[in-house]
Amino acid sequence: MSNAHPKSPFDKIIDTIEWLAALFVGIVAFNIFLAVVLRKFFDTSIPDSYDFGRMLLGILIFWGIAATSYRGNHITVDLLWTYANARWKRIIDVFATLVLLLVVTVQTIMLFDKVAMTYRDHVLTYDLNLPTWPFFAVAWMGDVCAVLLITIRTYRLLRDPEALTPTTGTGH
Amino acid sequence: MDWMNLSPDAVALIGFVSLFALMLLRVPVGMAMGLVGVCGYGYIAGSGPALKLIGQTSMRTVTDYTFGVIPMFMLMGAFVSVSGVSRELFRAANAFIGHLRGGLGVATVVACGGFAAICGSSVATAATFSSVAYPEMRRFGYPQSFSTGVIAAGGTLGAMLPPSTVLAVYAILTQQDIGKLFMAGIVPGILAMLMYVLTIVIIVKVRPDWLPRGEHKSWGERFAGLKDVWAPLVLFVFVIGGLYGGFFTPTEAGGVGATGAFLLGVLRGKLNRATTLEALLSATRTAAAVFTVLIGALIFGYFLTITQVPQNLTAYVSDLGLGRYQVLALIMVMYLVLGCLMDAMAMIILTVPIIFPIIVQLGFDPIWFGIIIVMTVELGLIHPPVGMNVFVIKSVVPDVSFTTIFKGVIPFVLTDLLRLVILIAFPVIALWLPGQMG
Repeated sequence: MSNAHPKSPFDKIIDTIEWLAALFVGIVAFNIFLAVVLRKFFDTSIPDSYDFGRMLLGILIFWGIAATSYRGNHITVDLLWTYANARWKRIIDVFATLVLLLVVTVQTIMLFDKVAMTYRDHVLTYDLNLPTWPFFAVAWMGDVCAVLLITIRTYRLLRDPEALTPTTGTGH
Repeated sequence: MDWMNLSPDAVALIGFVSLFALMLLRVPVGMAMGLVGVCGYGYIAGSGPALKLIGQTSMRTVTDYTFGVIPMFMLMGAFVSVSGVSRELFRAANAFIGHLRGGLGVATVVACGGFAAICGSSVATAATFSSVAYPEMRRFGYPQSFSTGVIAAGGTLGAMLPPSTVLAVYAILTQQDIGKLFMAGIVPGILAMLMYVLTIVIIVKVRPDWLPRGEHKSWGERFAGLKDVWAPLVLFVFVIGGLYGGFFTPTEAGGVGATGAFLLGVLRGKLNRATTLEALLSATRTAAAVFTVLIGALIFGYFLTITQVPQNLTAYVSDLGLGRYQVLALIMVMYLVLGCLMDAMAMIILTVPIIFPIIVQLGFDPIWFGIIIVMTVELGLIHPPVGMNVFVIKSVVPDVSFTTIFKGVIPFVLTDLLRLVILIAFPVIALWLPGQMG
């Protein structure tokens, strides 16, 4: 993060979203570790460990996509971008971010349908019979955050590109 | 042209052209695949089913427990990386062999192999050792070309030695056993290390003054170096051994490995609050990037299925009348060319659903092909004119030119090509170990 820019409320929101995503990955790992230890050494299990594990995985990925989209850490092909001048680099970045915004917005709308369907169908976890829709809803909120963050990224690319962490993507 | 009545082949062709155009314009690979997949599927089957595909495929992919193997092994690698294991591995290897001619180069290969085995990322390995091993090699007078070349090559070991993220993704896409693929990578990975060492030995024989001796360490110093590396090595053996012995599923092995790496880091005083958060964030971001590509690839896969591209391509290749190894050679060449343009992960995800049916039709073993394809795309990371590892090294050591790095990489590229031929000629090298699993 650039030291030249004091943290704005936007930055604080972005940091919070990133920390939430990071927290979920830690919880998933610990849930798996605990489930293995209990099953192998104490012949017992955490109720719904499997269902919790996979739903937490969904939450972590969607919240992670929000953070990744904002930071520009997606896997990209940077061949053309690398050889473009600064002006064209910016044009390419804005175009790519607008396409990203379009795709993630449509995904968020369609995911809401999926959450609503899970609610209507009253899908339950295997052991404890807990409704699964709240987990799906939290995952969906990650996608809503992604739309929000990509919108902020687009705005900053247009108005204040210096405020963004330099992006290189993860491709070439 | 009547836009309402395009044949499926024409739709597929337009889809591929659009996909490559979007990717060249830096649209994230997964998003480009998803967008083209939905538009193409929508053109043929209607917009309603196409839009439904987005919600269903996205949610089903991210909540698939089997796919949890990817973020878990990434987290294990991230914890190990921030614990400073790369430096410790290099120090230990250097203490034993650094005093020999070319010894620092061999130490780099060995440490890269050890680090890559836990970290699972070629690019991360190359970046890490550019700052760990490069200054040391330069300090003892190693040429810039060799120093950067050996790091670029050593970095590629990450994709072959388990737990390899690329191999896990290949296993998911082709519905192969992740554990067996991990095991299949071990012997070829060790072979790669041995062949890199042999390359360095040959360089020393040809140019004895090129790679000077490093510092001589006492036996006390050598064993002192080992005490820093035993913990991550035990963790690696425990996790991969547990997977081999059927004690864990791959996802469980990843979860246990990640938690184990965290506990070891804390107990050894290598992890604090900041480094722990750094590791969690790094794993989350990378996993999210890979899952985005996976979701996009699955949606694109539905589009390919509805246009029957894989079936048509398989039939076309069969009609060519080529031998199976000629077809394999063509596929290898295609990957080497694509390696100049794309990231290894993106390349595998994009092409495997199309290529895999051909491979099965030709009677090749899917596990063996996984190793071959990963080796080939990893070559793309170092071969000229564009190699991702070379770019990464250049970003860490900007005073070295691309030409210099590529000069240093050439002997290792030749070694890799030879290894590829050996593995194609003797599939047992990859298949023996998974064959011993229950």
